[in-house]
Amino acid sequence: MSETVRTETINTALGALERVLDRRLVAALEVCARCGICAEACHVYASDPRPEHVPAARAERVRAVYRRQHDPLGKLFPWLVGAKDLTEPDLDALAEPAFASCTLCRRCTINCPFGVDTALIMRAARAMLTATDRAPEMLVMLADAAIARGEHAEEFREIYREIVAGLEHEAQERLGDPTLRIPLDQQGAEILYVGLSGAHTILPAAIIFHEANASWTLSMFEASNYGLFLGDPARAKAIARRIVDEAVRLGVKEVVLTECGHAYAALRWEAPNWFGGEFPFKVRSIVEVLADYVRDGRLALDPTANPEPVTYHDSCNLARNGGLIEAPRIVLRAAVQNFVEMNPHGKENFCCGGGGGLVAIPEWFETRMRAGRKKAEQIRAAGAPVVATSCENCNLQLTDLNGYYDLNVQVVGLMELVVNALLKARRRHAVPLPEAA
Amino acid sequence: MDAVQVNKTLDLKGLLCPIPVVKMAQAIKTVAVGEVIEATATDPGVMADIPAWCRTTGQELVRITRENGVISFAVRRVK
Repeated sequence: MSETVRTETINTALGALERVLDRRLVAALEVCARCGICAEACHVYASDPRPEHVPAARAERVRAVYRRQHDPLGKLFPWLVGAKDLTEPDLDALAEPAFASCTLCRRCTINCPFGVDTALIMRAARAMLTATDRAPEMLVMLADAAIARGEHAEEFREIYREIVAGLEHEAQERLGDPTLRIPLDQQGAEILYVGLSGAHTILPAAIIFHEANASWTLSMFEASNYGLFLGDPARAKAIARRIVDEAVRLGVKEVVLTECGHAYAALRWEAPNWFGGEFPFKVRSIVEVLADYVRDGRLALDPTANPEPVTYHDSCNLARNGGLIEAPRIVLRAAVQNFVEMNPHGKENFCCGGGGGLVAIPEWFETRMRAGRKKAEQIRAAGAPVVATSCENCNLQLTDLNGYYDLNVQVVGLMELVVNALLKARRRHAVPLPEAA
Repeated sequence: MDAVQVNKTLDLKGLLCPIPVVKMAQAIKTVAVGEVIEATATDPGVMADIPAWCRTTGQELVRITRENGVISFAVRRVK
């Protein structure tokens, strides 16, 4: 590779760092006492205690580059403050810590005495890697496919209508109610529900909304946002734009996202910054909506439908970063007979090891299984045969951990448990048909 | 019915998004340019995701159909 190309690559990487360098990131880069408390807080280190798995060590790779560019001492006497020029081998070596060893879960941040946001630094690293074509190919591909789906929505509209018609029939059969509808493109509906591509996020929601008599319509698009994983605000914004435009066009009061941690983080917390202002609609997770329905008595649930002990895995994005800790517990206490807390839980819960887009990258399967050892231990210690979660990433990872570590549990989504309880309650209250004469 | 010669088949039934696309993306690298992979899936999202993936990666979607909840599609490797 020529010197010119090498310089362009480094300039591109440094340019990407500069673009994301705001006050939050500067603070995270400048404050670190190297106390090492973040080590034990990290699920990757706790599962595989090696020095390179300490969050501060990961962040140091970016800090050294930042100091060289911005610290007066780092510019003059780099050796004195651990400043370093960025090289292409450094960039290559950044890919694993940024994309595989850090799931952006922020457990290190809440356990840091100074609140250093190492996840923010790793997102900056991801931005540098994405800008220089060093991001995992699969994440790039999934992000670009999502954008293409938005750009060619008209071509998919009729196909999607057919799919939804099929799902509507399935939902009617499951509920035993032919009046159930899955509205699509319903102007003026109060809720725009954004699922994932799979039917498993649409069918239970349709049953729940029907039973709660909600005014809703289904989105043409899926909630996941691979642009966020890439640390690429342009792609992330393009993916989010599909949903924002749809919500504005339909005039909904709120967008409700399915059980997906990063989708919630993207649209609830990040998107207003990408778009430079608040949206004319609320953004909530289905978990919050379920909790409201339970509190308001809009769903009749029979917890005997879920008789086995159930433990709950808090998604990092929903619980630690989004504060949704009580809401899923309100739902669980109503939908299952025996709810058992995992230890630790809530904002202190360990990451499943599959976040940050890792579940979509096949070549890092072993890495994420190793990183999930702590989570596997937590599940085993909880002793419940059923593990509920309200994040699709977590669901996929926990299902893989279940097989890898022989946990012998059943991994289920929160909506699934609610629908079980709802269907049993419905059957219990059903008026028997009169005997045929 | 077209007479496309299929070089590899994939069973993606039961897999949820984004895994069908991930598996397809992995598999396409295992066939030569011009060859065709035929796959079956049950995740309805595939109906929109696979055409979008083909468009962005420059592969050719030869056909995609859905019958009794099973989606069948064929993709030719173009590059």
